[in-house]
This record gives sequence, C-alpha cells and structure tokens, in this order.
Amino acid sequence: MSAPGTRRRRALSLGAVIVGLFAVPLGLRAVNRAVRSPDAAPSYIPSIESPRVRGPFDSGAVSALREAANDYILIGDSMAGTRIDPGHLSRLIGGHGAAALFHPGSGAAYWYLTFKNFVVNAGLRPKAVVFFFRDENLTDTLFRVYPSALDRVARQREPVLDELLAARAQGPFYRLHGAVRRVYQHDQTRAWLEPIVVRAPVALSAGRRARTRLLESMNNEVFTLEALRPMVAADMAAASGEALDFDRNLSTSVLPEILRLSKVSGIRVAFVRVQRRPSADGPPPQSPALQKYVRTLWGYLQANGAIFHDDWGDPDQPLSAYEDGDHLKKEFRRTYTEIFFRKNPEIFR
Amino acid sequence: MIFHSLDFAVFFVLLTAAYWALPRRGQNVLLLAGSYVFYGWVHPWFLVLIAATTAVDYGAALGMALRPARRRAFLWLALAVNLGLLGFFKYFNFFADNVAAVLAMAGWQVPKPALNVVLPVGISFYTFQALSYVIDVYWQRTPARRSLLDVAAFIAFFPNLLAGPIMRATTLLPQIERERRFSASAARDATLLLAWGFFKKLVIADNVGVIANKVFALQSPEFFVLWAGVFAFGIQIYADFSAYADIARGVARWLGIDLVKNFEHPYLAKGPTEFWRRWNISLSTWFRDYVFLPVAYRISDRMSSDRRVLFDAATWAYAGGMIITMLTAGFWHGASWNFVIWGAYHGVLLSLARIVGSWRKRRRRVRPWLAPLQVAGMFVLTNLGWLFFRETELTQLVRHLGLSPFQSSVLGRQTGAYLFFLAALYSLPLWVQSLWAEFGGRDFVAAMTCNEERPVLWAVAVQALLAGLLFAAILVLHSTTSLDFIYFRF
Repeated sequence: MSAPGTRRRRALSLGAVIVGLFAVPLGLRAVNRAVRSPDAAPSYIPSIESPRVRGPFDSGAVSALREAANDYILIGDSMAGTRIDPGHLSRLIGGHGAAALFHPGSGAAYWYLTFKNFVVNAGLRPKAVVFFFRDENLTDTLFRVYPSALDRVARQREPVLDELLAARAQGPFYRLHGAVRRVYQHDQTRAWLEPIVVRAPVALSAGRRARTRLLESMNNEVFTLEALRPMVAADMAAASGEALDFDRNLSTSVLPEILRLSKVSGIRVAFVRVQRRPSADGPPPQSPALQKYVRTLWGYLQANGAIFHDDWGDPDQPLSAYEDGDHLKKEFRRTYTEIFFRKNPEIFR
Repeated sequence: MIFHSLDFAVFFVLLTAAYWALPRRGQNVLLLAGSYVFYGWVHPWFLVLIAATTAVDYGAALGMALRPARRRAFLWLALAVNLGLLGFFKYFNFFADNVAAVLAMAGWQVPKPALNVVLPVGISFYTFQALSYVIDVYWQRTPARRSLLDVAAFIAFFPNLLAGPIMRATTLLPQIERERRFSASAARDATLLLAWGFFKKLVIADNVGVIANKVFALQSPEFFVLWAGVFAFGIQIYADFSAYADIARGVARWLGIDLVKNFEHPYLAKGPTEFWRRWNISLSTWFRDYVFLPVAYRISDRMSSDRRVLFDAATWAYAGGMIITMLTAGFWHGASWNFVIWGAYHGVLLSLARIVGSWRKRRRRVRPWLAPLQVAGMFVLTNLGWLFFRETELTQLVRHLGLSPFQSSVLGRQTGAYLFFLAALYSLPLWVQSLWAEFGGRDFVAAMTCNEERPVLWAVAVQALLAGLLFAAILVLHSTTSLDFIYFRF
C-alpha cells in the first residue's frame, strides 16, 4: 500500500495528463490567429465548416454552357461518367445535343449546386436536366460533401444547402464533431497546414521546372481512371437502416429544392436510377427496405411532375457489361448511351 | 466495435467507471459481458463461435485435470474444434476454389460450393489465445481452471480480442484471477499510450495507407511508383498494427491489466532473426513455442546428429522447422497464395540467416560500422516481403518483380520520389521514436509510461504536453479516409 501523499500525487499526475490532453490543442486557436491567411472567409456551409480560403467558382464552365446552349444537361458522378458517351448521345439527339456535368466522387449536394448555379441561375433553359444516381443517394445530403470539390459549383452563400446539412448533421456523432471543431478550430489549422505537408516533398522529387506541375501531372497522367485495375468490390457499399427511410430523409434532402427550382424555372427534370452490379444469376438483389424506398421515391417524383427511370432489372445491362463495382466497361458506354436514349422517350420527346 | 469510434469511447468510459466500482468477481462478470458486447456489436452471431470455443477449451482443460490418462484425447478434441472452426470460416472458400481449379484442370467441371458468410473478425487471434491455454494445461505449464467465468474472460478479453497481442494463459489468466486496484499512475501512462496509438493509426497509418492503396489500385505501376507504394505499405502495416497493440495495452492498463509489448522497433533489425524478435512478438513467440520447437525437435530426432550433408543436423532441423513454421504463419494471415509465398520467403530468409550466422561465427566477427548497412539491407528485404504480402494477384506479382528501374519515365521517377518522401514525412515520428530508442537508450514513449511510483513534476509536465500535442496532431492531420485496422482481415 502506498502512502496517502503518494496516492494524491499520482492522482494529480493523472489529472494533469488528462488536462494536458484536452488543453494543449487549444493552442491551435492561437496558432491560427498568428498564421491566418487574409483570404480566409466564412464558408458557404458554416454549419459544418470553419472559415477558410475557398477555391474559385468555375465561371468558365458556366460561360461554356451558355455558349453551347445544349438541349439536355446530364448531372451525376462516375456512375454516369462510365455509362454515358456525351458525344454519341448528342448525335442521337441531334439539335444542340447534350452536355455532361459529371464529377467523379460527387453526391447530391454537388448535383444540387450544379443544377442551381450552372443551369437555373445561369439563365440556361435546356429541354431537360437528367440526374443519375444510385439507390438512396438523392436523399442522402451528407453523402460525399467534399468542400474542395463543392467550391467549383458553390456561390459565396448557400443558405439552403447549409440549412439542410445542419438539419441532417444532428446525431451525437455530428454534434460532438461540431463541438470539437468550434472549441479547437482544428479545421482552420488543417486548411493551411495540409497543403504545406502535401507540397513539401515536391521540391525533393522534381526539378525546378517540373515542380509547379508535378501534382497536377500525377493526377492527370499517372492516377487516371483508365490506369486503375478492375476491382470487383470497388465502391459497392449498400445502404441499410435509416438511410432507406424515404419519408424521414426527404425534408433534410436537396430533392424538394431541386424540384422547386425545376418548377420555378420551367426546366423539366428526370432522375435515372442506375443499376448496381448484377449477380451472375440476374439483377442485383434488393432488400425489402430498398424496394419500398424506390417505390416511394418514384411516387414522390411523379407527384411532383418529374420523370423517373429505373435501370434495375434491365436485361440489356448484364454482368458482362460491368467493369469494377457498379461502373460499366468503357466499351459498353456507347451501348448504354443507346439504351438510355431508346428507353427514355419521355425525356427526349 | 472498433477503437476509433464514438461507440467505443462511450462503451469504454462507462465500462471503466463501473468496473472500478465492483469487487473482483463483479469485475470479471462485467469484463466478460463487456467483451461480448464489444465483440457482438455488429454481428451478434459471432458470439456463438467464441462461446463454443470457450466451452470446448474450458471442458478439455478440465478433462485433462480430472482424467489425466485421457489428456491426449482432450488435447486433440480441443485442437480439432478450434482449428476446425478457424479452418471452416477462414479457409473453406479457398480450399473449395483450389479443389475446383485442380479438378477443372483434370477435365472435371464441378460447381464451386461457396460459403457466403462474413469472416468472424479476430477469430485467428482468439483461437490462438484459447489454444495456448489448452496446450499449456496439456504440457502442465499451467493448471486447469475451475472457473468458467475466468477462462471465458481470458479468451474474450476485449482490448486484444480483434488483433492481438495474443496473450498466453500463463500471463493473462493470473491477472484476471487476482485482486485488481485502480492505479492512477497506470491510468496516466495508459492515457499517453492511447494518444500515441491513435496518433499512429489516424495520422500515420491512414495517411500512408492512402498512398499504398492508390499505388496498388494501378494496373501497371512503373518501378519507382510501385516501390514507393510498397514502402508506404511497409510503414502503414507497422504503424497500423503497432497502433492497435498500443491502444489495446492502454485500454487494458486502464483496467489494471498488463498486455505484452508486441513490437520493438522492427525496422531497425539487422537481420531476419532479429526482425522476428521485434515484429508481432506475441505471434512469433506463439509459433516458436507451439509449432517451430515441436517440429524442429521431431526433425532433429529423426536425423543422426553425426551425419553431415552440407550442414550439420541441427541446421537442417532449424531450416526444416522454420520453413514449415513460416509457411503456417503465412497461411494463418489469410486464405491466399500470396501469404503462403510471404511465409515461405521469410522461412528461407531465416534459414539462410542461420547458415550465414554459423559460417560467420567460424570466420570472423562483423564490424560494428556495418550495422547501418545491415539495417538498411534488412529493411529492403522486409519491403520485398511486403510486396508478396500486399499483392494478392499472382500475375501482377510476377509483373512487378520483372519491372526495371531503367524503363521508368521521368514522371514515373518523380511520382515515385514524391510518394516516397510523402510517406517518409508522415512516418517521421515513428522513425524518430525508433532511432531515439536505439541510440538514446530508452524509447521515449516507454520512458514516459514507466509507471513511476513517485511522479516527478517535470516528467508529468512532459507527459501532459506530449499527450496534448498528439491529440492536436490527430485533430489537424488525421486522414479523411478512415481505413480499417489491417489485421482485422486476419
């Protein structure tokens, strides 16, 4: 047995380490004040982000869209990117053709901002805008909210999206995350420190001339989508539980806002649910919860004047057409584009 | 449940608070209940397996004590059930695929029976932990326990349940059986260990893991890109696995239980033998005691000690035992041929090290200044092993081994250099810790967690500062891509 004095000292030392653990990171606030960039500004989604230096809005893309004045605009992620050949679709459609605004690794928040800022608010009036999605992606607002990508399509203020994100991020995990962020402001430190860490090895890796473009060249020439090996299990996580409760998630999703903008602008919108990877015996299995979700989504879209098309169970999209995960093979892209055109007369009327 | 989750944080705080309010027996009941909640959190049916393993091993050990004449039969029963469950869940599909492939080569097309179940996470670890109890009772190194509660708590002890360190019955069971008192010093040291473990996992392993994953997702990486990816994977697996061990030790220490150290700066090893004394120590000593020694003795018994074919009988026994052991260890890691190749590779390396070592003893001593070269050489050999370990497709492996540095493009060289330096930058704290331990005499994390009887003010201040800095680094530099602990797969 140790003496009471020793026990007290040990208890105090434990307390000191626990206090140090939580108190020392408060120094990040002081560090941030000392090195804060003058360009840092409040984020357009302040409910989940602290002030930072944002990337530019892609006004060049908007100008190009205005100039092309396409009849159809397609929005989606790599699922759409590996399915649609925009050039081939434009030839099938004729007229002013179609523009593809596909961004790999994007989600509903990105698609909503693209529709709002690149199409509706830019004054474009295509015949229809088509959204491609998988299963419950449309009503999952927090799916793939990557600020560095959103910067391209977001304006200085995006109050509707911010409100939706705040309403969605309500669980204990998000509350704790938000509280920690407010206390330590570590995301502000990350905003300036991470680029330094990522860029530091560049000087050791390339000659002076190649340095400025090394990261860009790596992404555009080495780690391209075409250079990846097929992985059957890529990006295959399926939703379950609360994510498939349509009624619960609708009010905090971007879907009602997309439909509202569609009505206000008079632009028809269509939603295509792409088929996930089929099994060897037939279409991909669907849980009863997912089937119910899709039925409810379909009913909701039709009631709001939108077009819905479901690729699920299409015999023209067999397993042999798939590359990795839910992506289609490159050589099947033209075939899918024709299937999409042929099976959606309502969109292309 | 995984350590880096809010679920675990809540679970751990509640369990620890309740644990220290209970007497010993109550603590063990809570430990068992908590371990089962921890293990069955995602897939409750896993509990059926661990409960079955526990019942069989408890019964077999007790049977050995009550019916000594049938000890061998009880041992075989326990081995059959433990290894049978492990083999069924982990290797069924592998064997079915390979049998079907062999039959197809012979012209018989048979449908492959596939077992469509999730591999119970941690089964390889707790099976070995449970087996150590039965085998040690058989060898009479430890007595059979009458308390099912204590044996069940030993097998399911949650901190090391999913990825080790694999504890022996002789080390962990006595701790579960004895009276435990809360020690503020132990909790203080455990806090630092936890901070260091989470830092290694979330900052080092997950960030360099992204680099390794990117490289191994490429269809045809160039030479320098590939080897930068292998280097990143080498850092990832060490940081990840040792992080799990540190977190497990930290959690256990908060509960008044000491787990063995599983890593001792393995990348500073000067040769294969030393590497395996430093890497996954609990597993390598398990294989040494329960596989290598019995096999090597058996080979040695069958060889005449005065007969010499190139080498003496002891060297042959060592090499034979080591290759069989490492093949088994490779196969333990996963039902895939690349793990078998990795095991065989290390078996050959260890055997060669023994031969070279015995030759060197006869000739001359190695100069001390050669040590850095030996460390560098062993690091290169270890990384070659990691290529076998990480690359699951054999055709790709053959392709990788045929790559030449002279056929690399300028961008390939620059990309490789960039990825290498980025991985090195993230892993800098790991290297500093290892070098400090090697040349400064004491590992700074170990030095900080020395459970001082009378804490010195400056040491406590340094601990508090270090814990806070680690937490700050986790907040700022954690990878946005959260990866599972690698050894959950095994």
